[in-house]
Amino acid sequence: MARITLQGITKTYGQEVVAVDAVDLEIRDGEFMVLLGPSGCGKSTTLRMIAGLEEISAGEIRIDGRVVNEVDPADRDLAVVFQNYALYPHMTVSGNLSFGLRLRGVDASEIERRINVTATMLGIEGLLGRRPRELSGGQQQRVALGRALVREPVAFLFDEPLSNLDAKLRSAMRTELIKIHRDLGRTILHVTHDQVEAMTMGERICIMRDGRVVQTGPPLEVYRRPVDTFVAGFLASPPMNLLNARIAGESGALVVDLSPVRLPVLSDREEALAPGRDSAITFGIRPEDLHAEPVPRNAAPLDVEVVAVEALGPEVVLIAALPGGEEISARLGRDFSAPPGSGVRLYADLERVHFFDAGSGRALGEK
Amino acid sequence: MRRILMTIAVLALCAGAARAETIRILMETVPDTRYIQELLPQFEEQSGIDVEIEAISYIDMHSKLVPQLISPQGSYDLIVVDFYWVGEFTKAGWLMPLDDLVARDGVDVGVYVPKLMDLVGRVNGVLYMLPFYNYSMAVIYRQDLLDDPAEQAAFKEMHGMDLKVPETWDEYWKQVEFFTRDNDGDGERDFFGTVIQGQRGDCISMQWANYLYSQGGRYHDENWNPLLDSDEAIRAMQYYREAVENYSPAGSESYCFDEAFNVMAQGKAYSFVTFNILYAGFEDPESSTVAGKVGIAPNPGGGLNGGWGWAIPNSSPNKEAAWSFIKWAESPEVAKERAMLGGAPTQAPIFTDPDVVAARPYYPILGEILAGTQDFPVFTYTTEFVEEVGRELNLAATGQKPVPEAMAAAQEELRKLLVKDGKISE
Amino acid sequence: MTGADAHTLARRDRRFGYLLTAPGLAALMLVITFPLLFALFTSFYDYTLLNPRHDDFIGGENYLEAWEEEYLAGSFWVTLKFVLASVVIEFVIGFSVALALHAVNRFKTVYYLILLAPLLINPVVVGLLWRMLLHAELGIANYVIGLFGISRVNWLGDIGVAFWTVVLVDIWHQVSFMAILLLAGLAALPREPYEAARMDGASAFRCFLHITLPLMRPVIMVALLLRLIFAIKTFDIIFIMTKGGPGTSTDLVSYFIYRAAFFGLDIGRASAMSVGLLVIVLALTTYLFRYMRSLR
Repeated sequence: MARITLQGITKTYGQEVVAVDAVDLEIRDGEFMVLLGPSGCGKSTTLRMIAGLEEISAGEIRIDGRVVNEVDPADRDLAVVFQNYALYPHMTVSGNLSFGLRLRGVDASEIERRINVTATMLGIEGLLGRRPRELSGGQQQRVALGRALVREPVAFLFDEPLSNLDAKLRSAMRTELIKIHRDLGRTILHVTHDQVEAMTMGERICIMRDGRVVQTGPPLEVYRRPVDTFVAGFLASPPMNLLNARIAGESGALVVDLSPVRLPVLSDREEALAPGRDSAITFGIRPEDLHAEPVPRNAAPLDVEVVAVEALGPEVVLIAALPGGEEISARLGRDFSAPPGSGVRLYADLERVHFFDAGSGRALGEK
Repeated sequence: MRRILMTIAVLALCAGAARAETIRILMETVPDTRYIQELLPQFEEQSGIDVEIEAISYIDMHSKLVPQLISPQGSYDLIVVDFYWVGEFTKAGWLMPLDDLVARDGVDVGVYVPKLMDLVGRVNGVLYMLPFYNYSMAVIYRQDLLDDPAEQAAFKEMHGMDLKVPETWDEYWKQVEFFTRDNDGDGERDFFGTVIQGQRGDCISMQWANYLYSQGGRYHDENWNPLLDSDEAIRAMQYYREAVENYSPAGSESYCFDEAFNVMAQGKAYSFVTFNILYAGFEDPESSTVAGKVGIAPNPGGGLNGGWGWAIPNSSPNKEAAWSFIKWAESPEVAKERAMLGGAPTQAPIFTDPDVVAARPYYPILGEILAGTQDFPVFTYTTEFVEEVGRELNLAATGQKPVPEAMAAAQEELRKLLVKDGKISE
Repeated sequence: MTGADAHTLARRDRRFGYLLTAPGLAALMLVITFPLLFALFTSFYDYTLLNPRHDDFIGGENYLEAWEEEYLAGSFWVTLKFVLASVVIEFVIGFSVALALHAVNRFKTVYYLILLAPLLINPVVVGLLWRMLLHAELGIANYVIGLFGISRVNWLGDIGVAFWTVVLVDIWHQVSFMAILLLAGLAALPREPYEAARMDGASAFRCFLHITLPLMRPVIMVALLLRLIFAIKTFDIIFIMTKGGPGTSTDLVSYFIYRAAFFGLDIGRASAMSVGLLVIVLALTTYLFRYMRSLR
C-alpha cells in the first residue's frame, strides 16, 4: 500500500531537452491513476522516474512520505509492466515469475504458492513450463503482468502494457486489470495514450502534454469540464468540435457568433463570458451533444450540409459543414441517414457547450 | 595476379621491341642477394634479358620452391639452393645437370674453392650448381679486448699463457671463461664469454656443429655410419651446455643468430661462433657498437661449411637465359665486384685479389676459414635431420635431457634417416 | 488446379531450387571437400615430395608411423594445454573488455580501432616483434619490469616460462577477436530484460549472471568454437618465436605436421597426422556444440 507523491519532478536531457517539466502529482493509496497523453508528452519518463529507471533531474518523489530519489529501484518495492513485456527470453514462464522472488530470498514453498495463485488468477497455469517465444502476444502480456503481481509490491507501474495487443484482447485485459485492482486494492499508475483505457480504468486520470500536467481528476469530470482545448480535443472519440467564434451581445443577451450562425448563451454562463464580449473565443461542443431531433432541454437548431455519414452500427457519425464552411462531427442514432450534400438540421444541447479563450485555450466560465 | 600483370607487361614489350626475354629468380633476402640486385642493370644491358628477382625470407623459401619444382613447368627460371636442400633436390631430380653447358661454353669451374664445389656444386660427380656464396662458420671475437695490456696481464697470470687469437679449443674456452664477468657487481653476469644461438631447429644445429668439430667429432664416418653418440660428440654437447649455463646471456636457449648477433653487437660479449657473413654487420657502425673492435678467426678444430648454389630447375621455363645469367653473375669480374661490395666469395682467387683485400683486409682470413671447414651431412633428409637433431640438442642444452641420453637419441635419429635414404642398412 | 498439377508444380519448384543451390554446393565440394578427401586419400599412400604420386598404397602404415612417433603424443598434449589456456584466458579477458567497452558510449570507434590493430598484423610480424621485445638480455620487456625491481625473465628460453610466453603472445594477438565478437553480441542484446531485472531487484552481478550470460550463450558458443579451431591451427608464432622449443615445451601439433610435410618431405605421413587431428577437432567441437546446446 503506498501513496506516491511527485513534487516538481523534472527530467532534462543535456541543456536543451526538457522531457518532464515540474510535474506535481499525488497518487493516493490504493488508487488507480492513469497518466494519459500523446506520445512524447513525458508520461513514460515520469513513470520511469518513479520506478527508478531514470534519474530525476529536479524535484522529489516520495513513497509514503519517504523521499526515494536516490533509492535503488529494487528497494522501492514497485513493480513495472513494460510495454514490450521485457520477459526474460531464456527463462520459462515459471522462471520469469519467480526470478524476482528468488533474488529477494523468498523461500521456495512461498514462491510456489504465489506462482500458483498468480497463474490461476491470470489463467496461465498451463504455460508455466514454456518460454516466452512459445507464447502469443496476449500470453506474454499476462506473464509480464504475473511477474509484477507475484512480487506483491506496494504499487504497480504499468507502462502502456496493452498497446501491443489487438483490440479484442485489449478490451478483455482492461476489464481484467480493473478486476485485479479491485481484488488487490493496490496503488496502480497506468500510463497510456489511449483515452478509452483512461476513461474506463482510471479512478483519476492525469493528462500530460509537453512534459507538463494539464489536468488531473476523475474521468467524467475531465470529460465534462476539460480545462483547455487540448484536453477537450484529446479525450473521447470523435473529439469535441472546436470552432472559432465570437461572443456578441444581442438585445441585452449574449450570443455565440459562429458567423453566420448565432447560438444563444444560457444565462447561467453569461457572467463568466461577459468580460469577453466582442472578443474571439473557441466554442466547443461534443459530437454527442448534437442531436438529429429536438431534445427536451435548452437546445438551438443548427443547419448544416452533409459531408459524409459514417455508419458504425451502434451509432452514426455525421460529418457536416456549417454555413461558414467549418466542419463538425455529430454522433447520432443508428437510424440516421442522409445523402451527402443534403441539408440537415441538428440541435445543439446548449447546456453542454464549452467556451475557451481563443489565445490560451483555457476554459471560460465552466460551471 | 602478378603473373597476369607480368604476362601483359611481357606481351607489351614483345609488341614494342625485341626485348622479349624475362627470367624470374627466387632468392633469399640476404646481403649477397642485394649485391646481385645492385649489379643487375649491367646484365640487363648486356643481354637484353629482363630479370625479376623475388627475394623472400628463408623460412618461406622451401615451401614456396617445392610446388614449383614438382610441376612440369614452374614459374622460376633460376633458383638458389641452400646446402640443406641439395640432397633432397638432386635425389628428387628437380635440378638440371650443368656439365654440358659448362663444357659447351668453356666455363672454368676450377676456380671454385673445392670445399664449396663439394657442398653446393657437384653431387656424385654431376655438376648441378655453381657455388653462389658461402656462409661458413667461424669465431668472431673482440680484438680490442685481446689487445688490452691489462687483460693480457690478468689472463697470463691466471692461465700462464698469452692472450691472443685462440688456436686451440682449450685456449678459446679459457678465454670464454675469463671474459665472462659481472662488471656492475649486482650478482648477475653482464658480460659474456660467448653467445649461444641455441634455438631449437637449425639455429642450434648449425652452431653446435662447430663444437662437434672442435672436439674432433664428426657426424658420420666415410661409410655413413653415424657417430653422434661418440665421446667427442658428448663432450661437444657438454661444452655447449656449459656455455648456455655459465658463459652466455639469459635466453640463449631461444636465440637464433639475429638475437645473438645483437648481444655481441651491443658490446656485451667477447665472442660468437657464427656465420662469417655476419662479420660485415659487426663492422658496420649502423648495426653495431663494436665496429672496428672485432676480428674473425677459424673455429679451433674447424668450422661448419655452408653455402648456396645457383641451380636451374628442370621446371625452368627458360633455361638458356637462366644459364646466361649464371655465367654473368659468376664471371670473374662480377664475382669480384660482389666481393668488393661485401659478398662472401666462392672462387679461390677472389679471397686474395689485391683490390678486394685493399677494400676488405680480412678476406684472406675468410679464405683460410673456408679451407678449414667441415661438411654437414648432406643427404636426402638433411632438413629433417637438422630439425630432429636440433630438438635433441636443445633438450640437452636446456637441461631437460641428460647429455648422453640426448646424444644417443640424436644418433638414433640420424641412423634412421640414413637408413631411410639407403645410405646404410638397418 | 488439380492435385496432380500442384504436385508437378511442387516438383518443378524443388528442381529449380536444386538448380539454384547447385553451383554453391559444387563450389563447397570443390573448396572444402576436395582437399579433405585428398588428405584422407593421400594418408594411405607413401606419397612424398620426392615422389609425389599415389602409386604406393601402404594401408594404415602412415597412421602406425604417426602413432609410433616418440614426440607426437607430447605435442598433442602441449597443443591441448595451449588451446585451453589461450582460449579460456582470451575469453575471460575478451569478455571483460567487451563488457567494459559496452558500457562506454563515447569514442567507441577509437576503441574499436585500437582493439582491431593487433588482429590486422600478420602473425609472422607479431612473432618477430615479440621476439625482439622479449629478448632476455636486450628486450624492452625485461627492461621495463627491471624498472619495478623485478628480476629478468627468460621469456623464451626457460622451459616453464616459454609456454606461457607463447600463450600470452597469442592472447595479445587474438584476444581482440573474442572481444569484438562478444561486444557485437552485447550490443545486440535487448535492453528491456535488464530494466525488468533491475525492478526485480537484481544487482549488476546478478544481471550479468542471470541475464547477460544466458542471452549471450549463442554468441559465446560461436566465439569459443571459432577461437578453439583457430587456436588448434596456431602455427606462425611457434614457427617464428620458438621452433617448438625450448626442448619440446611449445611444440604444437600444427608445427609437428608442418615438419613432417616440409622437412620430412613425407606428405603421406603428414596427411595421416592431419586426419588424426581433424578427427580429434571434430569430436571436440561436436561435443562442445552439443554440450552448449544442452544448456539452453
